[in-house]
Amino acid sequence: MSYADWAVLGITLIAIILYGVWKSRGQQNLDSYFLGNRSVPWYIVLLSIMGTQASAITFLSAPGQAYTDGMRFVQYYFGLPLAMVVISAVFVPIYNKLKVYTAYEYLENRFDLKTRTLTSFLFLLQRALSTGISIYAPSIILSSLLGWNIYYTNLFMGGLLIIYTMYGGTKAVSYTQSLQLGVIFVGMFLAGYMVVKLLPADIGFSDALHVSGKMGKLNVIVTDFSLKDRYNIWSGVIGGFFLALSYFGTDQSQVGRYLTARDLTESRMSLLMNGLVKVPMQFLIMLIGALVFVFYLYFKAPINFNEGLIQQVHQSEYAPQMQALEQRFDSLEGVRQTQVKTLVTALDAKNETAIRTAQAGLKASETASNSIRDEAKTLIREALPAADTSDTNYIFLHFVVHNLPKGLVGLLIAIIFLASWGSIAAALNSLASTTMVDFYKRMYKPEASDHEYLRASKFWTLIWGVFSIGVALFATNLGSLIEAVNILGSLFYGTILGIFVVAFAMKRIRGNAVFWGALLAEIAVITVYLSDIVSFLWLNVIGCVLVMLFSAILQPILPSPQTKQPA
Amino acid sequence: MEDHQYEKPPLFSRWSTWYALVIGWLVALVVFFYFFTKHYS
Repeated sequence: MSYADWAVLGITLIAIILYGVWKSRGQQNLDSYFLGNRSVPWYIVLLSIMGTQASAITFLSAPGQAYTDGMRFVQYYFGLPLAMVVISAVFVPIYNKLKVYTAYEYLENRFDLKTRTLTSFLFLLQRALSTGISIYAPSIILSSLLGWNIYYTNLFMGGLLIIYTMYGGTKAVSYTQSLQLGVIFVGMFLAGYMVVKLLPADIGFSDALHVSGKMGKLNVIVTDFSLKDRYNIWSGVIGGFFLALSYFGTDQSQVGRYLTARDLTESRMSLLMNGLVKVPMQFLIMLIGALVFVFYLYFKAPINFNEGLIQQVHQSEYAPQMQALEQRFDSLEGVRQTQVKTLVTALDAKNETAIRTAQAGLKASETASNSIRDEAKTLIREALPAADTSDTNYIFLHFVVHNLPKGLVGLLIAIIFLASWGSIAAALNSLASTTMVDFYKRMYKPEASDHEYLRASKFWTLIWGVFSIGVALFATNLGSLIEAVNILGSLFYGTILGIFVVAFAMKRIRGNAVFWGALLAEIAVITVYLSDIVSFLWLNVIGCVLVMLFSAILQPILPSPQTKQPA
Repeated sequence: MEDHQYEKPPLFSRWSTWYALVIGWLVALVVFFYFFTKHYS
């Protein structure tokens, strides 16, 4: 990176930390620390919800996914607007009525303490692990592409945000997220603009879209149904709905965001606006990846976008074989460039026969290139057995580092940090609030002063931050990191959602039945996942349905202690 | 949050109109994406 890039990166990060510290003032009790005194306006809550969901992985992996697999990943978000409607209509009024700090408090009111504790524990388990991945994901990419030490990068990525998260609580998290998201939107817009600008002078935006589409990268809608296919419209709408319902309705990292709103109306507005903007936003992020694909048809692409791995192989006994593969790979570059020009000429002439011929030729070259890339991955695995050869997460940042002008590279690197900080800060805040409210205050110290609770809350924010960094230091070989986070979530979200659905909709079910039903469902979900029978999005549906089913079966069998009336 | 379970939503008289807007917007996007996919494939 140039001095200009370092300056932009440093100034941006310092400004965010100072802003967060400035917003940290005035914390006096749990209400101000975890709920911001319920005084945050809906547009800040909206940005906070979006900032919590959109981690660095979103901005690194999503364009890479579009590059390798096309834009069909957008369908994963189709269930989200539907979930926003259900949460606004059903979940939020109940949380609002009961004045809860965490979503899991409601479960004790509806069932019993052990069901609340089980659900809180499942949340802590998956959120702590996925927060570790959220730290590791951008760190490993930055360290590989920029030659930074991975351990220091992890510490820097996960450590600095702890300053304002620990001192400022939820209000500092929400307001910094808003600022962070503003910077992110500006940076991503500039990156998208630069992709098109850097294409050859005679290739416009429309030409780039047509080329990308002919190469199968603009496959936003896939209507074929398959349980094993990760992204089609059916898994997106149904599986995505269950995942979004669980994530936004029962995951404290999100529930904690909209509980800070001034009133019920503002909570609902923030969620519904998220339902309106999320899908188009994800579409535009992935479109950048589809355009980066076109860019690398015209310009030289590396045999593997993870340059750090390639360099390591070149320093090993496998260097001659890698050089031979790179020569074969580079020899196809000229062929591809000629074919893409032929395709554009045919597209301009609207000659269908010529278009099909050029398209077939370019696809054949692309298949040949991918075949060599696969050979390179095999060679990397031989040379470096512990290495993760998937380079999906490196594609966008490789483009940024090697092609964008000075200053803009620094801004894009800053965006990676800011996006990480936004989601990690919210996660740490939610981990601390769940620990404090559902365990510390409920079981350990029910009666303590505001000062003591506040001090313990800050302590637990710090502890979870350190734990997440520890997970990041041990994370490796997870493939596409955005998928790793979603798969991890899907292992638990279905069960957690099922408990809440039983609570809301199955009024006769009581604590014992839902508790044991949830445990059985979780075992079944993990078994199904290990059996590799279905794509991970369906795990959310399976977990939820099984909790409902097992609870209904167990209710007549198990004793039914008197429970409080559902809200 | 204040305990106003039946607060009037902004712009519209009922929350169900907001819900219909969000669902309608999703349907419009899916239709747009369908034709976008077909047009460029």
